[in-house]
Amino acid sequence: MNAPAIELSGLCKSFGTIEIIRDVNLQVAKGERHAIIGPNGAGKSTLFNLITGKYTATAGSVSLHGENVQNLKPYQINRRGLSRSFQITNIFPKMSVFENIRCGLLWSMGYKYSFWTLVNRQTKLTERTDEILEQINMTSRRNDIAGVLTYAEQRALEIGITIAGGADIVMLDEPTAGMSHSETDYIVDLIRTVTQDKTLVMVEHDMGVIFDLADRISVLVYGQFIASDTPAKVRSNEKVQEAYLGAAMEAEH
Amino acid sequence: MSLIIVNLLDGLVTGLLLFMLCSGLTLIFSMMGVLNFAHASFYMLGAYFAYQISTYLGFWVGLLVAPFVVGLAGALVERYGLRRVHKYGHVPELIFTFGLALLIEELVQFIWGKSQMAYEQPPALDFTAFAIAGNAFPAYKMFMIFIAMGIFLLLLYILTRTRIGMIIQAALSYPHTVQNLGHNVPLIFMGVFGVGTALAGLAGVIAGPALGTFPGMAFQLGSIVFVTIVIGGLGSLWGALFASLLIGWLQTFAASYNIRFADIFEFFGFTPPVDMANSALRDLWTLTVPQIGPILPYLLMVAVLVIRPQGLFGRRET
Amino acid sequence: MSVVSENASEATQSPLIVWSQILPWIMASVLLAALPFVFGSGSALTIMNQMAITIIFALAYNMLLGQGGMLSFGHAVYMGLGGFFCVHLMNMVEYDNLWLPLPFLPLFGGLFGLMFATIIGLFSTRRAGTVFAMISLGVGELIAASSIIVVAFFGGEEGVSGDRTMGPTALGIDFASQKEVYYLTAFWLVLSALAMFLFSRTPMGRIANAVRDNEERAEFLGYSQRYVRLISFCASGFFCGIAGGLFAINFEILTQENLDLTSSGIILLITFLGGVGFFIGPIIGAIVFTMLQTVLSLYTEIWQLYLGVLFLMTVMFFPAGLTGLLAMHSLPYRLGKFSLLLVPYAKMALPALVLVLSSASLLELLFHARHASVGENEMTLFGITFDSHALTPWIVLVVLLVGSFMIVKRQAPSLYDAWQSANHMEPRS
Repeated sequence: MNAPAIELSGLCKSFGTIEIIRDVNLQVAKGERHAIIGPNGAGKSTLFNLITGKYTATAGSVSLHGENVQNLKPYQINRRGLSRSFQITNIFPKMSVFENIRCGLLWSMGYKYSFWTLVNRQTKLTERTDEILEQINMTSRRNDIAGVLTYAEQRALEIGITIAGGADIVMLDEPTAGMSHSETDYIVDLIRTVTQDKTLVMVEHDMGVIFDLADRISVLVYGQFIASDTPAKVRSNEKVQEAYLGAAMEAEH
Repeated sequence: MSLIIVNLLDGLVTGLLLFMLCSGLTLIFSMMGVLNFAHASFYMLGAYFAYQISTYLGFWVGLLVAPFVVGLAGALVERYGLRRVHKYGHVPELIFTFGLALLIEELVQFIWGKSQMAYEQPPALDFTAFAIAGNAFPAYKMFMIFIAMGIFLLLLYILTRTRIGMIIQAALSYPHTVQNLGHNVPLIFMGVFGVGTALAGLAGVIAGPALGTFPGMAFQLGSIVFVTIVIGGLGSLWGALFASLLIGWLQTFAASYNIRFADIFEFFGFTPPVDMANSALRDLWTLTVPQIGPILPYLLMVAVLVIRPQGLFGRRET
Repeated sequence: MSVVSENASEATQSPLIVWSQILPWIMASVLLAALPFVFGSGSALTIMNQMAITIIFALAYNMLLGQGGMLSFGHAVYMGLGGFFCVHLMNMVEYDNLWLPLPFLPLFGGLFGLMFATIIGLFSTRRAGTVFAMISLGVGELIAASSIIVVAFFGGEEGVSGDRTMGPTALGIDFASQKEVYYLTAFWLVLSALAMFLFSRTPMGRIANAVRDNEERAEFLGYSQRYVRLISFCASGFFCGIAGGLFAINFEILTQENLDLTSSGIILLITFLGGVGFFIGPIIGAIVFTMLQTVLSLYTEIWQLYLGVLFLMTVMFFPAGLTGLLAMHSLPYRLGKFSLLLVPYAKMALPALVLVLSSASLLELLFHARHASVGENEMTLFGITFDSHALTPWIVLVVLLVGSFMIVKRQAPSLYDAWQSANHMEPRS
């Protein structure tokens, strides 16, 4: 089957009378690393929330692997193989790092709402959790409470939770926001390793990160895509330079 | 017909009284996110304070002073209690106000004892305002309607015509943005809590002589108040008004029409069980409408929640 | 809650039997088995049974409040309904020849609680937080109010009573004696507590914590927050029903009091007092509360006032409850700096005790002066009899109060310093 991993067609979203997303169409192929950029207030986060089921679209549709997921709840969309991170760190702050990751694994490993198995007795579950901890380089923090980690560590943990369930579509909302250079490099490497052979959609402001990671870039301005192409072509696209840079400068002031 | 008019008026008294409590509660909930479980306790304090003042200075001074004292007590509770608990989150806040309700009841019993107080309506209002076909309507109830209506109109005026009203309206619709307006939020919170509890206190002052001033009066009304704002929709003032009146009339009408359930069932063609004393359904057959009056608000709440979880006028999904 | 939850994650490779985990349960069971040999009197057994039932109820309540983050104001209903159902079953055993040995009765109470919790939970668990709390209150009041109307099931004002000794007997045990009932109650206590403890260690139990802390994140991990809350709610209802069944067996009567807001409030108070962030919290809360209730109500009329003050102080200053207070000391203990605290604690103990007792005495004095019948001016406090209308006791108590307050205030900074240094960790290398 060759249906695109994500397909948006005619997607619209209004809050009251204000149109935030206006007739958005997009196809993200399997295995592609796709970045969405655009000035503040362009609707990037809204688009994210539409795809992941947090918001319901006013019109249009969202399909995953050719299957319409309109009107599904976030947990149902997650079970269809899509996992996301959040712009504002969204972890379980009172649990240990180990438990955070384990929570991300439970559903995908088939435990569902089981109250007849003990988590500590599940050797495979523990092993898999430790593997992911190793992968995101946090084995040394295994038993620490997530709330006391540094910001960058929490962001890394969030990515760990996001990819733990083995989703084949990973959506990251500004994974490097508020990070120093060295932290950003660390996270970019992390993203590259953990999303191998997966479809990645990310919203990002840091152009360095985007040109480093993305196969394709879509530019969202005032709720519409004005371009969707390879990094090189987007960079040289006049319309993008005009509209995006113009709008970006407006947003700065 | 005349009975209907009397019931309409009686229900209006109950409904408006409920609304005086619900409006304060809604105000506090919308602005601060705190559901004040002890709200009805401030209503009780109003009645007790007014009684105590009235023994020295008479009813009218009590009417004027007691709500302010209650409001002050409310502001102090916010400043030294609630603000402390605020940082732990909403559930501990709710637990705090619940504990406060328990403590206020105990304090009232500690100071005034367990029996009902001799808090009476003033002699000036102790006459029959009018009578409809033999049903006397006391002047004091008219007075209650006037006070409650006055408060309602005052609230309406403040909310729609003044600057502070605009801020409150904004808070009702967008609870998180007001904090960014640069207003002194802690002071506003203290004020809102003070005004809300003062409103409850005023309701207590005028309800005390009519419904009795005793330590159980808070819990008696408290749960009905919560049910009312859940039915109306948490955070909606119009919903609170609508639900208050609805419940006021529902209870009054239920109490005055002695219809037996058996008659209703027989009307629909059911036959009563032969062995009534041992039938599992005997309670259904012997019920009367006045008996189920007290549970009607709760039944209504469950029905509303099943059909429209956010309440009749509620918009917020929190 | 602001409390850091216990870590269930420490085990790496668990062998089938971990002694450190099983030992507390064995010790608790041995203790429960031995208690009647020390406290064998009828009243002591009654209090211990009461305690055991309250512990199960409080643990079940904490499955919601502590582990699921749901605050219920009407939870007495689930215990009460389980209890009413069990009394009816007992009566069916007596009159309708139903074959049901008494020891199994609590299980049926649990199933009834589970059934009822499922019905209510279907609409009440849609939302967490304030909305859930309000709905629980409304439903609780609905059932409590209906109990007077639905006489066939609730028995009206006088309630429903039964006789536990009429069922089939085994080994000659007919549960006529208190001691037999005690062992039955203790058996169900251990079983229920163990089941609830293990529940918190299952995937469902862990996800209940996750939904409590961050429902949105849990949804994006494949879990429906509503189902998670519903399952927690049903499980809690089941164990409440077991507590209700044990109540029916112990007291052989259930009335409206078992359903009303006061009972629901008390279980919240007990759980919070003990500490909602710990599995053992509700157990400590139930034991302390039952003791306080028994002892204080013997000596003073205004014990509920003290309880109210204690509860409010806990919410304001120690939101982690008594267990949290104890747990705070684990860090100094592990750092080997516990001894630093001993002297400041000892210095504080006496003035603090005087402060508490003199405030309580003043309240007692005030209460007596206001409410004792005319002519009864004599009152007794701590074995001293005096005239509550005379000036001397007032002066003495005020002096004691102010004096002890001053000393406590002066001691406070040094206690605080000692606490700081006892908790001081060497920075990590």
